[in-house]
Parts: sequence; structure tokens; C-alpha cells
Amino acid sequence: MSTQNQNQNGYMLLFRGTDLRKGLSLEELQKVTDNWMAWFKRLTDEGKAVAGSPLEREGKIVSGKDRVVSDGPFAESKEAIGGYFLLDVPAIDEAIAIAKECPGLPYGIRVEVRPVAAECPIAADIRAEAQFAQV
Amino acid sequence: MQNMNTQKQNGYMLLFRSDEWYEELSHDEIQKVISQNTDWIQGLIAQGKAKPGHALHRNGATVSGNNGRIVSDGPFAESKEVIGGFLLLDVETIAETIAIAQRSPTLAYGTSIEVRPVAEECPLDVRARELAREEELASA
Repeated sequence: MSTQNQNQNGYMLLFRGTDLRKGLSLEELQKVTDNWMAWFKRLTDEGKAVAGSPLEREGKIVSGKDRVVSDGPFAESKEAIGGYFLLDVPAIDEAIAIAKECPGLPYGIRVEVRPVAAECPIAADIRAEAQFAQV
Repeated sequence: MQNMNTQKQNGYMLLFRSDEWYEELSHDEIQKVISQNTDWIQGLIAQGKAKPGHALHRNGATVSGNNGRIVSDGPFAESKEVIGGFLLLDVETIAETIAIAQRSPTLAYGTSIEVRPVAEECPLDVRARELAREEELASA
């Protein structure tokens, strides 16, 4: 799949690393959360953020053919997702520029920037293949 | 700390994780899974239990470091952990959410689904209040 620099369907920001609160003083923690909320409010006011939520730190994982239920993700994992924003911006460059403003970055948070698909990309691939086969 | 049995007003998020399992399937098999998956999601939407979800392209970028100075490619498409899409569920308990997740047609192909309660407020804020209370008690 080619990297799509333009995307009508917007972008998802996934905030990874949920353990930043460890080792922060009350003032620092308050500052980060206040900045984070102000950031989301500004993006919403600008019409650039259309949805977003924090996630509770615990959850479950359902996996595989046997549909096994296990605990996870683990809060201390650097990969754990702590929340998301959905952005209505047309280009990945703009989504990345917004991600760079995340107030959690100095505390080890990583922001994954992902293009939202208009439809399931697997279905789109199949249709493209079918069209190609007919030519 | 959140009690898993507590009823949640804010619903749950399903995060679909997988590698590119569908690369191994024939055209007919893929078509079958796609229509099963569409039926599953449409059924949930019709029951008022899911809002329309989104699939994600498997490319993207990761931003990290102070002021986001590190921008790298990723996630890597072949990783088993890549999130390929999400669905927001408007159901009240994690037990019901897990039961719904277990009916996902793609699980049969070795994928996994992360089930996460959507938070009413940021867990960081909750922690800040706890700290404030501790400080208050300590100085009382």
C-alpha cells in the first residue's frame, strides 16, 4: 500500500504509554492534564478533532480461534494505549504536526498517527484485484 | 483503581489487532470473512450496540520525544500487534462486551481484540486528585 499523504477520512492518533503518572509530582501531573485538555478543546474548536477519549487503564484481550479471554494490556507496558483522538485533517503532515503538540511527549508518551480507511482496506484490495482481473 | 465489574456509562472500545493474516487466504475465503464481518458489525449497529467503526490503513507514523522531535515510520505492517481498526460499543458491562468480541469472525484466523472501558474522565486527573488528597491528609 502506498503511503497516502492525502486522506479524506482523517487520521487517528493513538497515545501509547500510560505510565507517565509515575514519578510526576502533583503539580506536574496537573499541568500535563490541563494542557492536554486545553489542547483537545482547541483542536475541537478549530474543527480538527472530531472525537477523542481516554481509556481506563485495564482491559481484556480476546484472542484466536479458541476465543481465549486474558488480562491486558498491562498498564506498565510502553505500548499500552491510553486514549485516542480522531482528526478531521486532510494530510498526514498536518496530523503529524498536531501529534508533535502532545503535552505527554516530554514524559515518554508516543503518538501513533494512522490514516483512517474509507472502507476495510482488505475489501478495497480485493475489489481492485477483481477489476484488474477483468481487464 | 477501576473495578472491572462496575457498569460503565461510557461504553467500551474494541481494538482489533493482527498481522496481515488475510494475505494467506484465497479470494473466496477473504470475501467470506469480509461479508461475515460486515454482517456482524451491521447486526451490532442495528441493535444499537455499536457505533460505526473505522478500519485503519496499515501504514502511518509514530511521534515521540520532547516536542515530538522523533518521527518514525510505523507501525510495521507485519507485526501481530498492529491495530487494524476499532469499534465503539454502547453496552453497559465488560462481560457483555467480551461476549460480543468473542463472536468476531476474524478471531478464527488468529487475530486478537483488545477490550477497553472508555474513561469518563482522564485517569491522570483521577490520580492528580488522589495525590492532592494524600497531600492534604499528610498536612492535616
